[in-house]
Amino acid sequence: MNMKQTGRASRSLLRISMAEGLQYRASAISGVFVSVFWGILECVLFTVFFTYGDNAWNNNGLSLKQTISYVWLGQALFLFQRMSIDGELMDKINNGNVGIDLCRPLDLYTHWFVKSSAGKLGTSWIRSAATVLAGLLMPAGYALGAPSSLQGFLSFLLSVAMAFILCSAFAMLVTAIRLNVTWGDGPTYMLLLLSGILSGTYLPLRLWPDELQTFLYLQPFGGFADIPIQLYVGSMAPAAALPGMGLQLLWSLVFVLGGRWIMNRKLQTIIVQGG
Amino acid sequence: MQIELRDIRKSFKVYKRPEGKWGLLRGALMRNVEVVEALSGISFGIAEGELVGYIGPNGAGKSTSVKIMSGILTPDGGECRIMGRVPWKERTAHVSRIGVVFGQRSQLWWDVPVEDSFDVLRDIYGIAPGDYRTRLAELTATLDVGALLRTPVRQLSLGQRMRCELVAALLHRPQILFLDEPTIGLDAVSKLALRSFLKEENRKHGVTMLLTTHDMDDIEALCERVMVIGHGQLLYDGQLAGLQTKYAPEVTLKVNTDAMIAAMYNDLALT
Repeated sequence: MNMKQTGRASRSLLRISMAEGLQYRASAISGVFVSVFWGILECVLFTVFFTYGDNAWNNNGLSLKQTISYVWLGQALFLFQRMSIDGELMDKINNGNVGIDLCRPLDLYTHWFVKSSAGKLGTSWIRSAATVLAGLLMPAGYALGAPSSLQGFLSFLLSVAMAFILCSAFAMLVTAIRLNVTWGDGPTYMLLLLSGILSGTYLPLRLWPDELQTFLYLQPFGGFADIPIQLYVGSMAPAAALPGMGLQLLWSLVFVLGGRWIMNRKLQTIIVQGG
Repeated sequence: MQIELRDIRKSFKVYKRPEGKWGLLRGALMRNVEVVEALSGISFGIAEGELVGYIGPNGAGKSTSVKIMSGILTPDGGECRIMGRVPWKERTAHVSRIGVVFGQRSQLWWDVPVEDSFDVLRDIYGIAPGDYRTRLAELTATLDVGALLRTPVRQLSLGQRMRCELVAALLHRPQILFLDEPTIGLDAVSKLALRSFLKEENRKHGVTMLLTTHDMDDIEALCERVMVIGHGQLLYDGQLAGLQTKYAPEVTLKVNTDAMIAAMYNDLALT
């Protein structure tokens, strides 16, 4: 199986998974409502904190205006993250249809990586765009601001693409772990929740305690949302874009290699469920 | 021999809840693990172009051996060579030469038109566009699914879907076809159509077929050779006629019920 062949198969899988994802329009619309609701709620909260706080807390150079932009972009990028394992793959693991995918002349990791990211892409870009649009249309105090600089904006776009790959690679690692059918969903949800919190989507990482800042910068999940958003709002200078994206790339590689390793090991002993 | 298995073994762990009054609670804390031997040393060979029936009671190990031969499962021991390859070791190279139909599972994408699934398979197997068109035209004509190509899979009846599954399994011209209960749940007309198609495909393209089923009419219509498996062991391997002389010597006349029912459906214009 050569690279060209795999590439063509991946494109084809991408197309069909997106077509499937787009079938569920109602779910996409309701998803936008949830994102916008959370966005407004967080805007109110942060406005209260910034306005009435006694300035005793260190906001690490993240102003209220930047935080509001952070919130909206955070909501938009949150859609790249998985709240659970891709439904189709989960079904395959649970009812033994993984056998069908093993009958394809494709590496299972590549096959599933493409499938799950395409399924995510099929629905999330509409939701993300709609959330960003809603953020732009908010009244002045709560609106998503302009990027800090053109350079910052360009590095933001690049970093968003990296964030998508990183999120998919992490989701695949979790999926590979989930191949242990008897472990159930527990470990999966713990991992996904942890990654969500450490991505900065709930609370911008700059607002966490000072002692944690170095750790928060180096840990893998900041690459999900925090790094691209900081590049946009300017709390991270465009000069810091390269190391930041380097971190995203490094962690993507770690997750891909780890996921592959676990999956290949599991496949040696896999039990295909059902008759 | 195109397919060769020697002394293939496979066992599974089964978790059992302890018995008794507090079994439910104790089971949550400690599990009784029992090792069940699905295959205890199976050996056989199948030559190119053969059409072999594979029968045995539920849980005898049929599906397990089919899964091993299609590269999905790794056996605990024994040797298996199919077209010179060890299925679970050279999985991707192996599976590009075989086709698999599981009657209880679908390989088509549920929400999109059948044709889209076929297009994806074309790209996965790397079928050349010209070859794909002729092959698809040939298969859709013989299986009569041309009118279904634009219908989403979820809206197909079981018989229609099963015919599409066959197209999907044969698009890349596999040399071996594993069929695991392909006629399960099908009506008489669909069954007859499926059987005649399989026979034709075997005759015309020399595709080797291994057919697992509980429907003995399938076996009778298609296979000369049958293998009987039970308790993970091969109990009989030979002509179907040999079984008949041994276990049903007195039977002389038999009504083909499927053909009868199919004739009735046709007569009542139900198809």
